[in-house]
Amino acid sequence: MRCQRCGGLITNSFTRINGTLLCENCARELKVDDMFKRQATFFEQAFPMLGELTNGIMGTPSDLDFGNSKIKCPRCGTSLRELDSKGMLGCIECYNTYNETILKNILKKQGSSDYIGRKPGEIANIEVSEIPEEASPAPSVKVEVTPVNDSKPESNSSISVLDKIKDADWSTIPDNEIEAGMKAAAQAEDYQLAAKLRDELKSRKEGN
Amino acid sequence: MWYDAPGNNTDVVIGTKVVITRNIKGFPFVTKMTDSDKENVLGMVRQAGSQIGLDFVRTDELDDVARADIFNKGLVATSVVNGEDKYGILISKKEGVGVIVNSIDHISIVSLVPGDDVLLAYKRAEELAVHFEKNMDIAFSDKYGFLSPRISTVGTGVRVSVCVAIPGIEKTTGALPILTKRIEKYDWAMNAIANVDGSMRETSHYTINSVTTLGITEQELIDGANRLVADIIKLERSCRKNICAKKKVIVEDQFYRAYATLKYLRRADFSDAMTMIAWLRLGQDYIKHDDIDITWEKINKLTNMVRKNYDDYSRDRKVINNRPTQRAELIRSIMKGDIA
Repeated sequence: MRCQRCGGLITNSFTRINGTLLCENCARELKVDDMFKRQATFFEQAFPMLGELTNGIMGTPSDLDFGNSKIKCPRCGTSLRELDSKGMLGCIECYNTYNETILKNILKKQGSSDYIGRKPGEIANIEVSEIPEEASPAPSVKVEVTPVNDSKPESNSSISVLDKIKDADWSTIPDNEIEAGMKAAAQAEDYQLAAKLRDELKSRKEGN
Repeated sequence: MWYDAPGNNTDVVIGTKVVITRNIKGFPFVTKMTDSDKENVLGMVRQAGSQIGLDFVRTDELDDVARADIFNKGLVATSVVNGEDKYGILISKKEGVGVIVNSIDHISIVSLVPGDDVLLAYKRAEELAVHFEKNMDIAFSDKYGFLSPRISTVGTGVRVSVCVAIPGIEKTTGALPILTKRIEKYDWAMNAIANVDGSMRETSHYTINSVTTLGITEQELIDGANRLVADIIKLERSCRKNICAKKKVIVEDQFYRAYATLKYLRRADFSDAMTMIAWLRLGQDYIKHDDIDITWEKINKLTNMVRKNYDDYSRDRKVINNRPTQRAELIRSIMKGDIA
């Protein structure tokens, strides 16, 4: 697997955002690795915020970042900026216009830029080769089975939680069940109940 | 449907999909096409398709019943079948083979086969690709191969995707990293199948997708796919055997619970249903169960009919709200053997 941002091989762990695969470093650079674990310092938070603020007042950042933004494909008008942001070419001519950028991106994504497949109209001559026996050794791993439905009755769980909460005196129900109830109510589109439960939770937390 | 035919190793591999993308010279790529360009491409591909007996439909002229019918064939995404744009679909007489026109690439040939048979899926798709290449002016360069608007598919334009059910690997500590490393080694990618609401939830079902289209021949791609799939099957079977031997009572309990629940349930969430089907898969070959009537055909039918169902993506709010009940009805009738 390769990172779709830097093209490096993903060795350790990866993050997937909206279908884009990122390596650990890129995920960290983009601050999407594990937002909840990250302890953002004051400075980390303050400067991006300031940046956003000034951008908001002074308009979008200057075109200086995109020195080549004025280059456009002569046939379809696709700009380099469009190519960078969408990753989509507009026409065959784009391959000539942006040859260098495309080549770089291809190398990042695919690790090779040489076409060695079949020619148009030809049939690929494919022979079925025997799969060597070595393949994967049987794993000597610890078996760990997690029962799925010991504590809750499958799909009816949300309904039963809701029923329980609707009928009960809330002061007798622990926080975690109230929270589960809130989620179940939201799922069942009973937003009134969900809002009440949210307020109940909030008041409990404030009370503590 | 494509999945009704018998397939190889369907205890682990649900289906194999090969997509070949091609673009026509003389037209901009789809994002830059005008309406008249799109009409022209639709007309050209339709004509070329009719020479080999492909039926043509336009998605903007479909009613809901036809949309459901085409989506359930598994060839197209909801964005195409429900899209208002000028998409076209060519459907082959062979089950599981079709061509999508004007979706990202001008021509996307899709071929689906049940179980593990990458070569057959590839051959069926290639047959159509070669026909289009001979009868149309396809964008090709000696340097980059078949040109595409996406840098990720330029080259051979061939992508292989294999859907696998691996409850054994998922439930074995340390086996999933072994699998992901192996997949990395082949430069492939692995995704959990998406829940119907788009969220990813572990349901023991994954798709394994090829990534590379340059620096690789079709032969190498298919050899790699075959080897990788054989590895996965071997690993998954040994994990299932291992679990069923070491945690016999727990697996038996879950297997029978899943069977009973699926047989009598009245509401079924997508991910819960898929998880229960995965338990059936885990125990089917390694747990003694002469007293109940469950076969691999039934399990595969359940998987395929629950996994891709147009009603899950319906634009009608009532249908969506009623889905868990309808899904439960479908599951019950398959379990009873009413849908053969």
